[in-house]
Amino acid sequence: MGKMVKPLFITLIILLLSCGTVLWLASNFYGILMVIGSIGLFFIYKGIAANREKVKEDLKRFTLTLSIPLIGVIIAVIIGAIIMIITGYDPIEAYAALFYGGFVRNWHVSVLNAAPLIFTGLSVAFAFKAGLFNIGAEGQYYVGAMVAAFFGITIYLPPVISLPLILLLSGIISSLYNFIPALLKVKTGAHEVITTMMFAHIARYSSSIFIRYMGGDPNTSRHPYVTYPILESNWLPRFQQFLPHANYRLHTGILIGIFFALFVYYLLYYTRIGFEIRAVGLNPNAARTQGISISRNLFIALLFAGFLAGLAGFNQVNGLDHKLFENLSAGYGWDGISVALLASSHPIGVIFTALLWGALDAGGQFMQRTAQTPNSIVEIIKGIILFLVIARYIYAYIGNRIRKRRGFVKAST
Amino acid sequence: MAGATENTHLLEMSNITKQFPRVLANDNISIYLKKGEILSLLGENGAGKSTLMNILYGLYKPTAGQIFLKGEEITINSPKDAIRYGLGMVHQHFMLVENLTITENIVLGNEPGRMGILDYKAARKKVKEISEKYHFSIDPDTKIESIPVGLQQKVEILKALYREAEILILDEPTSVLTPQEVEELFMVIRELRKKGVSLIIITHKLDEVKAISERVYILRKGKVEGERITSKVTKEELANMMVGRSVVLTVEKEKKKILHSPIFSIKELYVKSEKGVDAIEGLSLDVRPGEIVGLAGVDGNGQSELAEAIMGLRKIESGQIFFKGKDVTHLDTKGKIRSSFSFVPADRQKLGLVLPMKLSENLIIGLHDTEPFSNGLKLNLKYIDEYSSRLVKDFDIRTPSVSVPVSNLSGGNQQKVILARELSRKPKFMLVSQPTRGLDVGAIEYIHAEILRMRDAEVAILLISLELEEIFALSDRILVLFEGKIVKEFIPEDTDEKEVGFYMTGGSKDDRYGQNG
Ligand SMILES: Nc1ncnc2c1ncn2[C@@H]1O[C@H](COP(=O)(O)OP(=O)(O)OP(=O)(O)O)[C@@H](O)[C@H]1O
Ligand SMILES: [Mg+2]
Repeated sequence: MGKMVKPLFITLIILLLSCGTVLWLASNFYGILMVIGSIGLFFIYKGIAANREKVKEDLKRFTLTLSIPLIGVIIAVIIGAIIMIITGYDPIEAYAALFYGGFVRNWHVSVLNAAPLIFTGLSVAFAFKAGLFNIGAEGQYYVGAMVAAFFGITIYLPPVISLPLILLLSGIISSLYNFIPALLKVKTGAHEVITTMMFAHIARYSSSIFIRYMGGDPNTSRHPYVTYPILESNWLPRFQQFLPHANYRLHTGILIGIFFALFVYYLLYYTRIGFEIRAVGLNPNAARTQGISISRNLFIALLFAGFLAGLAGFNQVNGLDHKLFENLSAGYGWDGISVALLASSHPIGVIFTALLWGALDAGGQFMQRTAQTPNSIVEIIKGIILFLVIARYIYAYIGNRIRKRRGFVKAST
Repeated sequence: MAGATENTHLLEMSNITKQFPRVLANDNISIYLKKGEILSLLGENGAGKSTLMNILYGLYKPTAGQIFLKGEEITINSPKDAIRYGLGMVHQHFMLVENLTITENIVLGNEPGRMGILDYKAARKKVKEISEKYHFSIDPDTKIESIPVGLQQKVEILKALYREAEILILDEPTSVLTPQEVEELFMVIRELRKKGVSLIIITHKLDEVKAISERVYILRKGKVEGERITSKVTKEELANMMVGRSVVLTVEKEKKKILHSPIFSIKELYVKSEKGVDAIEGLSLDVRPGEIVGLAGVDGNGQSELAEAIMGLRKIESGQIFFKGKDVTHLDTKGKIRSSFSFVPADRQKLGLVLPMKLSENLIIGLHDTEPFSNGLKLNLKYIDEYSSRLVKDFDIRTPSVSVPVSNLSGGNQQKVILARELSRKPKFMLVSQPTRGLDVGAIEYIHAEILRMRDAEVAILLISLELEEIFALSDRILVLFEGKIVKEFIPEDTDEKEVGFYMTGGSKDDRYGQNG
C-alpha cells in the first residue's frame, strides 16, 4: 500500500464511523449502515495490513468478549418470555413492542437515557480497574448536578466558554467529593464501598436543600420542587441545531459521553497513568515492588471516578432538563454499576451497555402503552441479565475459594 | 522397555494432544507408568510437563488422546474424578490453610463426621495412623503457619495419601526445599514406593532424576524426545536430549580481583516480620562493585524480610543502608529503582509479576514511566513491543507473542520474564533471590553466565539462595544467615557445602556466641 493511501483510508474509516454514529444516535438509520460499513472497512484494512491469522484471532476474541453479555441477554429474554406466558401476556407481541419502542420508534429516548449512564458506567468501570468499587457514583452524580445547576444559573458567558467551564467545574467538584473517601481508604484502609455510599446519601439529601435554596420554594411551587431554569446560553447544543429531523430534546451529551469513553480507554491502555492503575488493580504487591505507589493510584482512580460520575449530573442539567428536579432516586449511579459490570469494565463496552440499558427502559415504557404489558417485566429482564453477569463473577470467586479450601489449586505451571 | 507388557502398566496416557491458542503444549504424547515405579518427567521450560500432569489430574481437558488405568479407558473431568481414580497431585505452590492445624488441613474437603461437623478426634487418629504407616514424624496438632516448607510439603503428600492415592504426581517438589529437606523427601518417596504407591515426579535437577527415579521421559517442544532407564544414562546425555545441544552444567567462574571499596553497605539493620518479631537482628554486610556476595541460609531465617527492607518495601526499625556513600535507608522503592537497584524476588507470582497483564507490560513495569518507554504521559507502545521482542529472544522466553498475559507462560518462562526485566535494567546493585528457581539446565547456564557477566561489568550483586550449589557456583564471598544475623563468612575456595550447611542450621551454640561476643 502506498504511503498516502494508508492515512487516507484511516481518515475515511474514522469519518464514516463518526458521521454514522452521530446520524444513528439522531435516529437516522442510514447512520447504522455507515457504522457497520466503517467496521467492515476497518477489518478489510487490517486484513491487508497485517497477517490474516491475527485478524482472525482478533475477530474471535471480539466475538468471545461480546458473547458473554449477549448470552446473558438471550437467557434473560427467554426467562422473561416464560414469565409472561405464565402470567398471561403474549411475549411475542410484548417483545416486538419492546424492540420497536426501544430501538426504532423511541430510539431518541433510549439515547437520552443512555447518556448519563455512560458517565456513571465509566466512573464505576474506571474505579474497578484499580480494584475499587465506586458504589457511590450516585452521590457524585448529585454533586455534579448541583454544581451544574448552580453555575448554569449564575454564569453568563458565551457558550464556548461557559459550557466547558461548567463541565469542568461539575466534574472537578464531584471528584473532590471523593477526596475524603479516598483519603480514608489510603490512610486507614476504610472500605470505599462504605464511605462512598455514606457520602452518596449525604449528597442525595443535600440536593433537596440546594433545590429549595435555588428557587424550589415549597410555598409557591408544586412538587417536585425544581430550581430556577439555567440560562439558555448554558444549554448543551441539541442535535436539531444541525440535523433538522432529530428529536427536539435530543442533546449532544451522548457525544461527550462517547468522547470520554474513548478518553478513558486511551488513558487506561495508552498512558502510564492507566498502566499503573491497572497494575495496582491486578496485583498491588507486584506493583509496589516496582516502585508504583498504591495509595497515589487509588487516589487518582477514586478522584477521576468522581469526576466522571459528576459529568452525568452536568449532562442531565445542561443537556436535558435545564434545571434540577428534586428526585431522590435518580438511580443513575446504581444503573452505572450495572452498565459497568455488563461491559466487564471495558470503557468502549460501556457505550453499548448504556445504550442497551437505555433502550430497555425506553422500550419498556412503549411496551406498557401499546402492548399493555407491565413495564416491570423489563425490570425483571434487567435483573436477570445482571444476575447472570454477576453470577459469572460469583461463580469464579466461589469456585476459587472452594478449590483453594479443598486444596485444588488452579492448574500448576 | 524392560519386557513390560500391556497388563503391567498401571497407567497409560496415549497420544495426548493439548492445543492452547497458538501453542501446541502437548503434541501426541504417549507415556506409561508401571506399578510401584518412580517415573521422572524431564524437559526444558515450556516443554509441556505441567500441562500433561494437569490433564492427568483433570485440570485441563486434552484436545485429543486417551488415558488408561489398569488397562481400562477412563475420562477425568475434574480433580474430583482424579482422586476417585486414586490419583494425587502436589502442586509447586502449596495450598494449605495457614491457621489450621495439620490434621484439619489434611482432612479438609473430606472430613470424617456427620452433617458437616468435624469429628476432630477421628480425623486426628486417622492422620496419625497414616503418618505412622509411612514413618512421617509430624505432630498433627501444630498449625501450618509454624512449620517449615519441607514439612508443609509432607502435609501435602499426606493429604493425597489420606485420600488413598495410589499414584502420586509431584510437580517440581524440590525447588523450594533445602538439601536436607530434599533428602528427607526422597526417603519418604522410597517409603511410599515400598508401600505400593507409584509416583511421577517433575524436576529440573538431573542429580535428582538419577537419585530417585528408575525411568525418565524427556519432553521437548511438546513431544516425547526419548525415554531412558536412569541407571543407564549420564547427566550430560539427559541435558543434551532435553535442550538439544550440549550444556555446561556448572559455569566456570573466573576469579576476579576486586578493586573497589564497597558500593553497598548495611549497618546494624533491624527489621520486624509480619508477626512483629525481629526477623533481622543487627545485620551488617558490604558488597563491592564486581563482587557476588552469596547469602546462604535455611528458608525463614529473615531472607524475605531483608530483601524487602533493602528494596524499601518493609519498615526498617533501626540501622542504615548506604549506597554509593549516600544514606538510602529511607529511600522509597521507586527511588531505589531510579538509583539503579535491581531486584529478583523469590516469590515470582506474588511480588514479581502482574500475572494477568501482558508479557510486554511485565517486561517494562518499573521503568514504564521513564524514557524511552514513555514520552511524557504516553506509553511508547511501539518501542515497548520492540524492546520486549528483543528480550524474549535474548532470554529465550517461550511464548507465542509479547502480548499474551504472562499467566499463560510456563513456570520457568515466568521466571525468565523477571530475570530478563531485572538484568536488562543496567543495574549498579542487584539483589537476586532464588534466581534460577524452576529453570531448566539450559536456562540456568544462561542466567548464571549473565549474572557473572554483570559481575564482570562491576555490578555489585547480593545473591540470596537456598541452594548451596548455586551459592558456590556464583559467589565470591559467602555469608551465612541464621536467625536474622550473619553468623559466618567464608571464601568459597576455603570451605565446602558441608561446613556452610553446618552454620546454616545454627552450628554449635558456643561457636556462634564466640563469634559475636
Ligand atoms: N493456560 C494456558 N494458556 C495458553 N498457553 C499455555 C497455558 N498453560 C501453558 N501454556 C503454554 O503451554 C506450554 C507448556 O507449558 P507447561 O506449563 O506445560 O510447561 P512446563 O513443561 O511445565 O514448563 P516449566 O518447566 O517452565 O514449568 C508453554 O509454552 C505455555 O506457554
Ligand atoms: Mg511446569
